[in-house]
Amino acid sequence: MTTQIEMPKLVELRNVTKAYGSMTQRPQVVLEHINFTVRQHEFISIVGPSGCGKSTLLRIMMGLVKPEDGEVYYHDKKISSICDAMSMVFQTFALFPWLNVVGNVELGLEGKSFSKEEKRKRVLDIVKVIGLEGYEEAYPRELSGGMKQRVGLARAMVSEPEILLMDEPFSALDPLTSTHLREEVLHLWADPALPPEAVVMVTHNVDEAVYMSDRIIVLTSRPGTIAKEIHIDLPRPRDPRSSELYKLVDEITGFIV
Amino acid sequence: MTIPRVQVGRVIGLLEVLQDFEGKVDLAKVADELRLELDDILPAVDAAKLLRLLQVNTGDLILTEDGKMLLSKNASGRKRMLNNTLASLGEFKGVIDFIKSDHNGEVTKDELVRFLKENMPDVDSEQTFSWIVEWGRYSLLLRYDSGSEKIKITHKGAGLKE
Repeated sequence: MTTQIEMPKLVELRNVTKAYGSMTQRPQVVLEHINFTVRQHEFISIVGPSGCGKSTLLRIMMGLVKPEDGEVYYHDKKISSICDAMSMVFQTFALFPWLNVVGNVELGLEGKSFSKEEKRKRVLDIVKVIGLEGYEEAYPRELSGGMKQRVGLARAMVSEPEILLMDEPFSALDPLTSTHLREEVLHLWADPALPPEAVVMVTHNVDEAVYMSDRIIVLTSRPGTIAKEIHIDLPRPRDPRSSELYKLVDEITGFIV
Repeated sequence: MTIPRVQVGRVIGLLEVLQDFEGKVDLAKVADELRLELDDILPAVDAAKLLRLLQVNTGDLILTEDGKMLLSKNASGRKRMLNNTLASLGEFKGVIDFIKSDHNGEVTKDELVRFLKENMPDVDSEQTFSWIVEWGRYSLLLRYDSGSEKIKITHKGAGLKE
């Protein structure tokens, strides 16, 4: 997208530093001086070696984890608790085994002041959009990995989040299933009628990041700092086997290893 | 066996890979690309073939017109397309007819497993039951409630308009 610069800021991280252990003794610094901005209509991927704090960064953005230093701003307002304009998709799905698909998706509306009927309607609508129609009464143990992650996606989308955070959403899936689910996510992303306004995905798969994103943020290993930001201007839909894409994958992999 | 024995997502994933290769590619190359063993792909190939979504020709996988059409549809469109195909597959149709033969269009898991044992003695009937549930749910032909262990024909499965 060529107009990226003018797009409104949704989230801004300013000088975020995260450490475990007391700051006075020998703290384990996981993330250091992280600055970046998420703008409207951007699909951002964060890549980096394992242990570089990628997942922690997502949790800090959402307000689930507090940084030791620095701030997160949502629409120029400092975040001090969990930001309900964001929702998260987890690598291991994080479903409740005792709830069926509808019950699990409905958890995404916890704390919202809709009536019971309105909640049910929203759940059934998103279930349909995400391709889970027919599975409403299924329990997680009856579902394949791909279907479980669809439930995770539906639960995240049901609240119509402005920003969707995804933490390694495809890495627990077999290659055929992940191919399919990536396409579905891009399909949803391409539909302007659907939320979110921006996606931030953490992945260790550089091919996946280049295939899906508008911008890639490369983190260094611990402590994680931003090594590089790369705009991916390839037109969509992209050919995952094009030489331009391979070239970018090589380039980015070079920054990581 | 005319009941697909693989997850729906894998079949569609395979078709998407084929599409990336312009609709035709060597099976061994797909395995290599995805870092999968042939044995991991074959169930998806078999199911896609059964559903007339791809053809196999001397080691090449070729996307059929149906396969291309499926990929061009959204989630609901795909379900609708596959429910027509599934309902026409010999053994899958047999299962649907068996459930339909109950006047409420509903049988218990035990009843269906018994039916499978009698009619398809060579296959694991518990596992076949799970695949029937997977594809029946996906295609909106069947509903299954694991609490009451009842499997039920939907309006679509009964050939009625909803």
